[in-house]
Amino acid sequence: MTYILKEFRRHLWRTVAGISGYMIATLFILLVLSVSRPNENDSIGILKGTGTHFIVYIPSNASCCVSCDNESSDGSLVAEGVYTLMLNSDLLTSIKEIEGVRDAAPYLLYRIFDENLKSEVSLGGIDTNSIATKNNVCTLTNLISGKYLSGNVDEIVAEESFAKAHGLRVGDTLNVYASKLKLAGIVNSGIKPGKADLYAPIENVRTILKERMKCISPGFDMNIVLVEVTDARIQNRVISQLKEKMSYLSVSSYNCYQPASEVMTIMEGTSTVLTILIFIFLIIFSAKTQLTSLMERFREIGILKSLGWSNSKLSFQILFISIIQSLTGALLGVLFGLLLILLMKNYQIRLFNLMEFQLQYNSIPVLIVLSLTGGLIASVFPIIKLYSTKAGDMINNYM
Amino acid sequence: MSEFQIECISLSKKFTGNSQTVNAVDGINLQIRKNEVVLLKGRSGAGKSTLLNLMCGLIKPTHGKVMIDNNCINELSSNALSELLLNRIGIIFQSFNLLPTYTVYENIEIALVPRGLSRKMIKESIMSFMEQFNLKDKALLLPSELSVGQQQKVAIIRTLVKQPSIIFADEPTGSVDDLTAGEILGHLMYLKKEKQVTLVVATHGNIQEKFADRILTIENGHIIN
Repeated sequence: MTYILKEFRRHLWRTVAGISGYMIATLFILLVLSVSRPNENDSIGILKGTGTHFIVYIPSNASCCVSCDNESSDGSLVAEGVYTLMLNSDLLTSIKEIEGVRDAAPYLLYRIFDENLKSEVSLGGIDTNSIATKNNVCTLTNLISGKYLSGNVDEIVAEESFAKAHGLRVGDTLNVYASKLKLAGIVNSGIKPGKADLYAPIENVRTILKERMKCISPGFDMNIVLVEVTDARIQNRVISQLKEKMSYLSVSSYNCYQPASEVMTIMEGTSTVLTILIFIFLIIFSAKTQLTSLMERFREIGILKSLGWSNSKLSFQILFISIIQSLTGALLGVLFGLLLILLMKNYQIRLFNLMEFQLQYNSIPVLIVLSLTGGLIASVFPIIKLYSTKAGDMINNYM
Repeated sequence: MSEFQIECISLSKKFTGNSQTVNAVDGINLQIRKNEVVLLKGRSGAGKSTLLNLMCGLIKPTHGKVMIDNNCINELSSNALSELLLNRIGIIFQSFNLLPTYTVYENIEIALVPRGLSRKMIKESIMSFMEQFNLKDKALLLPSELSVGQQQKVAIIRTLVKQPSIIFADEPTGSVDDLTAGEILGHLMYLKKEKQVTLVVATHGNIQEKFADRILTIENGHIIN
């Protein structure tokens, strides 16, 4: 041990060079992670929720509201322009049980031809508290005037386009669905798979449509299930599982989750690849440093071998020197990294005026372990060389 | 059981470089008894140093083997060879092979460190030899701060301090004046006489033949007499 410490002192510049290599690599990885991880997390946070929704229904070739009792009806249950069957509420539980499903909500979408408005009017019954409703139909944040659904029995909100087409204003009373419905607010929900003209809480819509939906039986009180998935990257898997379990269901989704998923995979991959590349560079650099150090000490080590120093004793020296250098380098790299990130945060320096540096505390132990691993791997080749070369050859440099 | 302490059997060593092969040692058979002093004479490049390196296991023979106390050193494990070099064999190199960044004391100390002796014992032993060789006041100097003769003495102390039973010395008086050469040879003869050490000394001719029990002349890798 004494000789190892003396070795550091005697070959100060070689020691400094060895430590610097680890320090620079650690510092670089820390900076890369501190800039890439937070920005990656922000971006992924946005992309993760992109297109993570779809609707589920059973299409039919005829309106179930008519076919049951052969009575004529001026309306029907629809989804994406086609007739649908009613769904059992047990389906919600089954869908929620699928891994990766964040939420599932019931939706009742009915369309009639209204004589007063002289046009088709679709009424959507929604669960206002569900995240699945938010992304598939509409939500409070889509409100552009008036107020959102508060639960009052006769209250509805209308899509902006529908309101404009029929000259409706907040506070107007609509005579549709044989009911007098008060327009509480106007929303613009954008492009959503479950879009309707008018929305009301699902319980109210069930009451409004009670007389029209003669074919329903207990438990069958929705025609669409709105589904929200936890991550865009698993949406495909969730849809496949759903189809596998319930092949009779039709699934409709806007495919924007696919590019989002691809971008996320690329972003995560880039950061990982960058870390791996720096790690490989670190190992190559430190192995080279250790080997150069061994070459410089080759004759010296040969002399020690000729004096009876065993290969294991000398290997321990090489390994210990390498590990001490890598540990010192990693600790210094972390220290400088901390200072640098702190300075950049204080002076609000951003990369490309956009990306902020944010210290990743959880990466510090990983970096130290990486550096130690680098030190360990770096000493392997010199040790093999030491074992395979005779003392005399080392002294005379016959290699 | 062989009566010889050292035996070289059909020992050969070839060096290849730049598409040229040199037979530095070529089929040498040699037996040396315990406590014998053997002088290997020959011109530069005759193969003396290579033979010495082969005999103490520092290099691997191309052909043949070396037996020390009936053990083939070419078949020993690296640990067993280290053990042999640490406890039984002493080597005095022609070019001293002192470590330039170590002090005189440390250069000698490294020969005893692997034995795991106490610092006190190591110090006593080293200082006693340094006193005998008049180097006591040079302990903290670097080799570069010594004269060539003093460096030679340090290299010899490093070997003697281990108290080996066999010493291989390559031109031990090659770079020193007659007075120092006499002093060094005196020490070696003392070891032969008092400690029953076996000595194999390579020289190009500056050591008087009266010191040797046997003189062998080497030429082109062969023993010619």
